[in-house]
Amino acid sequence: MNLGNTIVMELKSNWRGYLVFILVMAFIVGGFVQAFPSVAGAFEDDLKGSEYIEIEVEDGDGYQDVTLSWDEVETADNYTLKMGPTPSMLVPNEIHGIEGSVHTVRLEEVDGEIPEMYFVIVAVSDGTGEFIGIETNFDRAEGLIEFIGLDYSDLRGVLSMFWGVFFILLIGIYIAYISVNSVSKDYDDRRMDILLTKPISRRQYLLEKFSTVSLYSLMLLVVVGLITVASVYSLGELDTVSASTLFNTTVLSWPVFLVIISATFLAAVYLENSKKAVGFAFLFVLIQFGLDTVGSMASGMEYLKDFTVLSYWDHEALFYGEAVNWTQVGLLFLLSALLIGAAVMLFEKKDVPG
Amino acid sequence: MRKKPVIDIRGLSKYYGDVVGIEGLDLKVYPGEIMGFLGPNGAGKTTTIRACLDLLQKSKGEVKIFGLDSHEDSLEIRRRTGYLPGDFGMYNDLKVKTILRYLLSQSGLSDESKMLELAERLDLDMDRRYGELSKGNRQKVGMVQAFMADQDLIILDEPTTGLDPLMQQKFYDLLREERENGKTIFMSSHILAEVEEVCDRVAIIRKGRLQVVEDISSLKEKMGKKLVVEFDDGVDPEIFKIDGVKDVKIEGRWVTMIVTRNLDQVIKNISKQNIINMSLETFSLDQLFLTYYSSGGSGT
Repeated sequence: MNLGNTIVMELKSNWRGYLVFILVMAFIVGGFVQAFPSVAGAFEDDLKGSEYIEIEVEDGDGYQDVTLSWDEVETADNYTLKMGPTPSMLVPNEIHGIEGSVHTVRLEEVDGEIPEMYFVIVAVSDGTGEFIGIETNFDRAEGLIEFIGLDYSDLRGVLSMFWGVFFILLIGIYIAYISVNSVSKDYDDRRMDILLTKPISRRQYLLEKFSTVSLYSLMLLVVVGLITVASVYSLGELDTVSASTLFNTTVLSWPVFLVIISATFLAAVYLENSKKAVGFAFLFVLIQFGLDTVGSMASGMEYLKDFTVLSYWDHEALFYGEAVNWTQVGLLFLLSALLIGAAVMLFEKKDVPG
Repeated sequence: MRKKPVIDIRGLSKYYGDVVGIEGLDLKVYPGEIMGFLGPNGAGKTTTIRACLDLLQKSKGEVKIFGLDSHEDSLEIRRRTGYLPGDFGMYNDLKVKTILRYLLSQSGLSDESKMLELAERLDLDMDRRYGELSKGNRQKVGMVQAFMADQDLIILDEPTTGLDPLMQQKFYDLLREERENGKTIFMSSHILAEVEEVCDRVAIIRKGRLQVVEDISSLKEKMGKKLVVEFDDGVDPEIFKIDGVKDVKIEGRWVTMIVTRNLDQVIKNISKQNIINMSLETFSLDQLFLTYYSSGGSGT
């Protein structure tokens, strides 16, 4: 009879905001993917000056011999080798008076590891130095990848970073915001009395609101997924990550957002006040994100990820071709159902504030 | 024999922690009558109405509407009940007609004829956005939505707030017509004149407890009349010691009193002295209400 009216009304009163956000997300996601070549290029750039020095390393027992060679400078009296753990060469070790254009230096292990060093060769003429080149005894990109945990020279690494940070934060916070307002605005604008004295049950009212935001979030993810596929296609990178992987990874984040929606509905029903409920919703998303980030980056704190729903959507593994963990997807659906069920039970028992 | 009540409230109590909202309230509203529900702010009028509509959980007691339990059968009750809250709000960005159509469809109806008729009658512009309307026009939207589904019972909480006098008269006419069409109306108000003008009976509530439920005419009768007499000289207080005479105040040559019975005996007694001036006033509901409250609810 009146099933679906609330959904229609939600769309009628909010469609402008919904549409604008979809367009904004489409623009951001599409633009981000297009920026991949320059991100990858910057990541792959070698050291300025490394092309003037050849380096060979030979590992021994507890040491490494590093042999550096360079083109001789005719005017040079001799050469100086500077070594340090950073390219800035603050307080470097220096070897002066090197004759010829080849020099070998032995690095001893420290705490069982060969130190990673930058080597700078300077030609010395009449007491003044002239920079020749710089090189390292380690792969800088690998070091960075190890530190960040992602390879930005690979599209999948860039997508994983974006999906893990901006995607979750932007969409998560927006979805949380519209979820809260979906209920709290009816309190704030003093129309809850009227809506709940029409012949629809409180359960129907809340579930229709939940369905509206859930369906909208799914539609948003489908659009973002399609834009991503189109943007990657235009880069000619669909060989790196397939269209179905891109689309599925995006859309499979839906259960995470369902949990966010149902948790914020519960908060909206309990708090009845949009400012407090919005505050809770933002905090909920930020805490989820914070726990996931710290759990991923800080060694020994991996257990923090157990407390966040984000760990049940492993976008990085999906981008790199791992199979979907349907158990985790199911658990997210279950959690969402439990939360919205609790919200309905609470809503049915609560007084409507006058 | 009187018909079965449309609203039957028995021993209704609502507590907010230690604070009493209403306590032990008994009230019946019968089919086809307009019942006024009077009380100052905070007396418990809105709490009573909201408990009837299942917007509040009862602490004690029971409310039956159309013989149905207000909580268990609330959906069926709501199908047959129109409601205008005291603080009516809607979607500010939407047009009035969109809002009213939505509310009509939420009642399971699609026939817009009464909605359109009411809007025309109340001079309501259906093409304007709700957020652009004045307080009075917003109240009209509330009135239209309360009556448009042609339901058996209409519950109104302070319905004329924000309406100009002309619109108030239109509203009173509408109430009378609805009553003639067999509708039952339960309305709270603090405007005594409107209760006096349109209501058949009145219930007065004070500090969460019902003080009196009475036909307006018999309530006035029960409250008596105010007699003011000017004598040409001093007056003997003994002549006012008559059963049914109270609140006698003598100020020089002027004497005022409330007469509830034995008016003929009062006239006989005072006519033994020289009277210069005399007036006999029926209490307005206003005065009645103030008298009621100033006497702590005893009505005497």
